[in-house]
Amino acid sequence: MSDALSAVCQPITSARGLPNAHYTDEALFARENDVLLARNWAGLAVASDVPEPGDAVPLNFCGQPLLLVRDKSGKVRVFQNVCRHRGMILVDAPRKIEGVIRCPYHSWCYGTDGRLVTTPHVGGPGQNTHDAIDRRLLGLIEVASHIWMDVVFVNLSGSAPPFDVVHADLLARWQEFDQPLAPGGAESRFSLEVACNWKLAVENYCESYHLPWVHPGLNAISRLEDHYNIEQPGAFSGQGTEVYQQFRTPDGAAAFPDFDGLGPKWDTAAEYITLYPNVLLGVHRDHVFSILLIPENCARTTERVHLSYAATDTDPELRAANATQWRAVFEEDIFVVEGMQRGRNASGFDGGAFSPAMDGPTHCFHAWAAAALQEVSHHAAE
Amino acid sequence: MLQNKQARQDDRALDLALQAAHARSDKKMLIALYAAAAARRPEAAAYFLTHAYVYALESGARDAAPLRARLVALGAEV
Repeated sequence: MSDALSAVCQPITSARGLPNAHYTDEALFARENDVLLARNWAGLAVASDVPEPGDAVPLNFCGQPLLLVRDKSGKVRVFQNVCRHRGMILVDAPRKIEGVIRCPYHSWCYGTDGRLVTTPHVGGPGQNTHDAIDRRLLGLIEVASHIWMDVVFVNLSGSAPPFDVVHADLLARWQEFDQPLAPGGAESRFSLEVACNWKLAVENYCESYHLPWVHPGLNAISRLEDHYNIEQPGAFSGQGTEVYQQFRTPDGAAAFPDFDGLGPKWDTAAEYITLYPNVLLGVHRDHVFSILLIPENCARTTERVHLSYAATDTDPELRAANATQWRAVFEEDIFVVEGMQRGRNASGFDGGAFSPAMDGPTHCFHAWAAAALQEVSHHAAE
Repeated sequence: MLQNKQARQDDRALDLALQAAHARSDKKMLIALYAAAAARRPEAAAYFLTHAYVYALESGARDAAPLRARLVALGAEV
């Protein structure tokens, strides 16, 4: 494996892509869940999944049961969704926590901030304390989380440096968009189930090379030469366009207000970047979107799409139309990522060659993944 | 004898009411009924008050604070 991964990390002119097994082997899938997702800041959900204090949503990510909660003070938190007593799942469906989170097994109760509040009968019937049960040490296990662009990022391992340190470059690049977002309503969020490894969705999103062939409808307004590559090794990659046109109403007016204070670049620019490992982001003068890639198994991924705006009072019908337009674009990509997944069963496929001119962002992602996997293998061998 | 029979009938009625409240997940009623059970069975007050307290906590009811205070006074809670 090491030789194959080394080949991925070569200069793009001679590099090969990740070997087939990285898309088809469940053991490697589990390893990548650990190395690429759990040890980094991965996108789990959006804060607008839990809009009000007490809202709670159970999620499975990297095989772990997690609980997304907005606590009573309004802070979004992520916990491991298990009672510290016997490991029972605490919340098994989205719901409002009115008071505390009560384990349905023996009724140990936790605050929405994770504190263990009471332990009924733990010292025997009618005795709710015991010297051996220190509530201060038995609160819910909180997962490191950080919210940016409404996305709830988690570092499951707890070992990554702070989010704003790891991703300082992208935060600086998109500093102008660091302002309050107004997530659209139900019409502005949808999911796509795709029969491919999550990395293929990243790879396809990163590059503009496929646009004229897969998205011919975009070609009329956004030609290939209007795009540029974006590469930040080890952190993110993607592409930008210089001819973005605002979404408009039928009578030609701008449908949505612009974000405040954007520089002139953004009059016509839009950028589409994958923040490694699994968050696909798009920014435009009048709206942004995120696509969270949730790996289900080595050959199946859920894409959760959310659109947000600069103001809360935008027209829901126009938001719905914008979401429909984007959904059509994203659905056009499905046959490609699913086709590449099936192609990974071809024994002669060697990871593939990259176009040095067009595939830089995709190679950037491959090289990041391969280097991370190699580094962990190297440490394990020591 | 008659008093014992009446007490058994009252216990039975309380038991049925608790089962019905559980079936409806009626937290407000559960709080009230477990508090009533505590009043009927002083020797097991901490046990029943614990249940009332748990459902008060779960539902965010204002009863939680005074119920906790009673349990603390009984040495059953901190």
